[in-house]
Amino acid sequence: MPYMEPQQSDREWKKGSAELLILSLLEARPRHGYEISKLIEQRSQGTLRFYVASLYPLLYRLEKRGWVQGRWVEKSGQRRRRYYRLTPQGRKVLASQRHGWQVFVEAIERITEVEHA
Amino acid sequence: MPDEWSQEILKRLAGLNLSPAREAEIVEEVAQHLEDRFQELVAGGATEDEAHRVALEELSGEDLLARGLRRVEQEVTQEPVVPGGGGGGNFLASLWQDTRYGLRMLRKNPGFTAVAVISLGLGIGANTTIFSFVNALLFRPPAVGAPGELLEVWNQNIRGQGVGRYMPLSYPDYLYYRDHNQAFSGILAFDGDPRIVSWSRSRQGERAQAGFVSANFFSVLGVKPALGRTFLAEEDQAPGAHAVIVLSHAFWVERLGSDPRVLGKTLNFNGTDFTVVGVAPAGFGGLLVGIQPDFWTPLAMTPALTHDPNYLTSRQSFWLFGVGRLKERATPLQAQAGLRVLSRQLQQSYPESNKELEAATFPVTLVPAPFRGYVVAFTGLLMVVVSLVLLIACANAANLLLAQATARHREMAIRMALGAGRRRLVRQMLIESTLVALLGGCVAFLVASWLAPALLTLKPPSLPIKIDVPLDWRVLAFTLGVSLATGIVFGIAPALRGAKTGLAPALKDEVWIGSYRKSRLRDVLVVAQIAVCSVLLIGAGLCVRSLLNAQSIDPGFDTQHEMMAVLDPGSLGYSEAKGRVFYNELLDRVRALPGVASASLAGYLPLTTEERVQATEPEDHPAPPGHPPGIDNTDVGPDYFRTMGIPLVRGREFRAQDRPGAPGVAIINEALARRFWPGQDPIERRVIIGDAHLEVVGVVRTGKYRTLSEDPLPFLYRPVLQDYRPRCTLVVRAVGDPHNLLPEVRRALQALDPNVVPIDLETMKEYMLLPLFPAHTTGLLLGAFGALALVLAVGGLYGVMCYAVSQRTHEIGVRVALGAERRDVLKLIVGHGMLLTLAGIGVGLAGTFAATRALASLLYGISSTDPVTFVSVPFVLAAVALAASYIPARGATKVDPMVALRYE
Repeated sequence: MPYMEPQQSDREWKKGSAELLILSLLEARPRHGYEISKLIEQRSQGTLRFYVASLYPLLYRLEKRGWVQGRWVEKSGQRRRRYYRLTPQGRKVLASQRHGWQVFVEAIERITEVEHA
Repeated sequence: MPDEWSQEILKRLAGLNLSPAREAEIVEEVAQHLEDRFQELVAGGATEDEAHRVALEELSGEDLLARGLRRVEQEVTQEPVVPGGGGGGNFLASLWQDTRYGLRMLRKNPGFTAVAVISLGLGIGANTTIFSFVNALLFRPPAVGAPGELLEVWNQNIRGQGVGRYMPLSYPDYLYYRDHNQAFSGILAFDGDPRIVSWSRSRQGERAQAGFVSANFFSVLGVKPALGRTFLAEEDQAPGAHAVIVLSHAFWVERLGSDPRVLGKTLNFNGTDFTVVGVAPAGFGGLLVGIQPDFWTPLAMTPALTHDPNYLTSRQSFWLFGVGRLKERATPLQAQAGLRVLSRQLQQSYPESNKELEAATFPVTLVPAPFRGYVVAFTGLLMVVVSLVLLIACANAANLLLAQATARHREMAIRMALGAGRRRLVRQMLIESTLVALLGGCVAFLVASWLAPALLTLKPPSLPIKIDVPLDWRVLAFTLGVSLATGIVFGIAPALRGAKTGLAPALKDEVWIGSYRKSRLRDVLVVAQIAVCSVLLIGAGLCVRSLLNAQSIDPGFDTQHEMMAVLDPGSLGYSEAKGRVFYNELLDRVRALPGVASASLAGYLPLTTEERVQATEPEDHPAPPGHPPGIDNTDVGPDYFRTMGIPLVRGREFRAQDRPGAPGVAIINEALARRFWPGQDPIERRVIIGDAHLEVVGVVRTGKYRTLSEDPLPFLYRPVLQDYRPRCTLVVRAVGDPHNLLPEVRRALQALDPNVVPIDLETMKEYMLLPLFPAHTTGLLLGAFGALALVLAVGGLYGVMCYAVSQRTHEIGVRVALGAERRDVLKLIVGHGMLLTLAGIGVGLAGTFAATRALASLLYGISSTDPVTFVSVPFVLAAVALAASYIPARGATKVDPMVALRYE
């Protein structure tokens, strides 16, 4: 797969929503960093990408705030990986961010629809 | 490949100053990610070189990793403390946050926490222990209904002084008060003296304790029986007519095996059959602390049990404690005024007995009102002592906290920089000190639960009292209160100091420069500790010396080779003739026992609680009429002085011939000889006691009679054969260990009459525990608390010295680098320690002169300004302090200048 330079708009989007994306992905079950980055890429169909240099500082920040918790897990025949899970506090933050995001998106939609009308 | 990733990642983390462990974690995790990415790219068709380049580019883009990590790692943990958050609604929540944070800090410094908790635990524990006694004696109400409505009724001699002005009531007085007062719904009366009686159980005598009470005793107290009923009014009228008893719950359970059919059964006490009509509820032991009768019987039964009819008729026999329950609307003042009127009527009707007596009332506690002053004074002294010990412990903990506060300057500065207010920081530190003190309080409770029962064992076994020292809610509340106060007292100075942080220097890590100079507060604390410690140690020294003195006081008789037994066949109804036969037989049998050197009788032994004083004058120069001096006397049998080891100075002992009908004789001590016939031979002179004219036939060495600390007291002995007493003390001198004779004598007694139960049966050494009890208690308690104070104070000094040395390592390094000798360093550190010690001792000595006055009345044969103690204790203290500063000082001399200078 050819390597693509991330677009400028991509980074702007990420800035506001990165935390929400990661927390959402961890809602169902614990995942490790590489898995998170792959999921973001796949589910956004390539629109959003988190590279290693920005993903890990973000994960560590969430961990420091007590929203996620990392744990080394060893599976047989594999090198150990650090899995992150949502803490109860993180779950609350996710709920409120998700709500905020929906309000925001709806507002944007209403504005842009009016423009189109 | 992963190793290569690791190298790349490490390069990018270089400037971040992460801890090695943290760095390793990040490297491992990110390397794994790069490896995954690399494998994915390769699987997607890229060449290895291409994949490698892409992965690295994603790692490096615009130095994102390093910048992002730096932001994260330097973001201060979102500790609850940082933001102000002090708004009213948040107060409790933030208090909880501070508490949790405090607990975390304590867990982080286990050494500090342990030392402070133990130090405070011992200090608070000493307070809890003494308070548990104060509580048991003064605060705990008797186990009766509405104790607040009860008042004690006493006779008060309007001319008397001190405890001696209060007297119990006579039986006729009691009846008059009971039947004529207006303010009480009822007045009860009981005998305040425990009576040992003989319980004849399957023809074998056992000791039991009888309580004589008025018929309304239980009903006025509001105490319902656990079984059966209490007394009826008619059972307390005709003397000896109703032999009924109510058993104590403990007696019923322990000695009768909780017999459910006990009601209606008869028990034989002192030869009279008593019918059980009820069992008192569990936990009820009467109204006096320490005295728990095995059974109660109506006052009218007193003559039957004591074989002394005087109790119910005499106006001169003051033996009843009165307690009244106030009517609903009556006040204590009204009650007292009403009784005063009645007591004036008694004064007029019976001037001979009641001339100077007036009724007085007091609230009821387990210690009768007249004695409360003594209990308050003694326990008050102990409370002062233990609070001084606690002060020392507080100073220790404060010093530890100060050291902590210095070490935590940076933390405080950062919190301040992030917006925490000074008040919040002070509160945070006070919460930490209070947590330490509360943990100390828990330790204290353990200490007290062990120490209080241990102290009870100091009580001589012959003292017939049982004291419960429960650790109840009052003790718990006291401990909690003291712990909280302690936490604030020792925490406030370090907290204020800690929050007074200069932001810039602290953040620049310049703490250590200022810290030593700023330790003046710590020095003051050490001086105060040493001062308080010297007060306590000198007090302890005085008491220990007094104890040694008391033990070495010559009581005037041998205490090593005798045993004794107090007997009272009179209480079993023995007539004089039968009693004389009994004692003669007993002496014959005991003298025949192997290992007995001699045996004799005495009315009472020296240093007991009894005394008999009678007007006595020399026949050849009588005192002016009406003013013969009162002289202590007792009756003793033949061989008494030899048996007791009292040296006969002149003349002879009493003989078997000194019997009724023979000429009256007396033996006097040297003090009485000097008093009556100074410089002359008293033998064959005569003294007058009442109607009796007695010839002096011997003179013995003066001993101690009432207390160990008394001045020489004139004393006179009369032959027991000429002056029969139903209650006597048997003394036996053993050839070997008197302890071996105890079972033999008991058997001899049982063979003679199994129902005569010895009231006390013990060796003279055991007997002496009673007169030595005050000296023992004060000596042991103050000695122990003094030792505790020394340990705490020296520990504190040592800690401060160690800390000072550690803070001055840099300075010492510079000195050594500049050529200072080992000696100079020693001098520097030890000099500082000794300066503090001497200042403390100086302050302490000044305080001690004032403080030990309070001890004067408790000391034996030693003044409260005893020079030996006042000189030796400061020396000991200084020597120990020298050691405490020498050890860290020696460590300081080993400072390597290179290492020390690198501290910067």
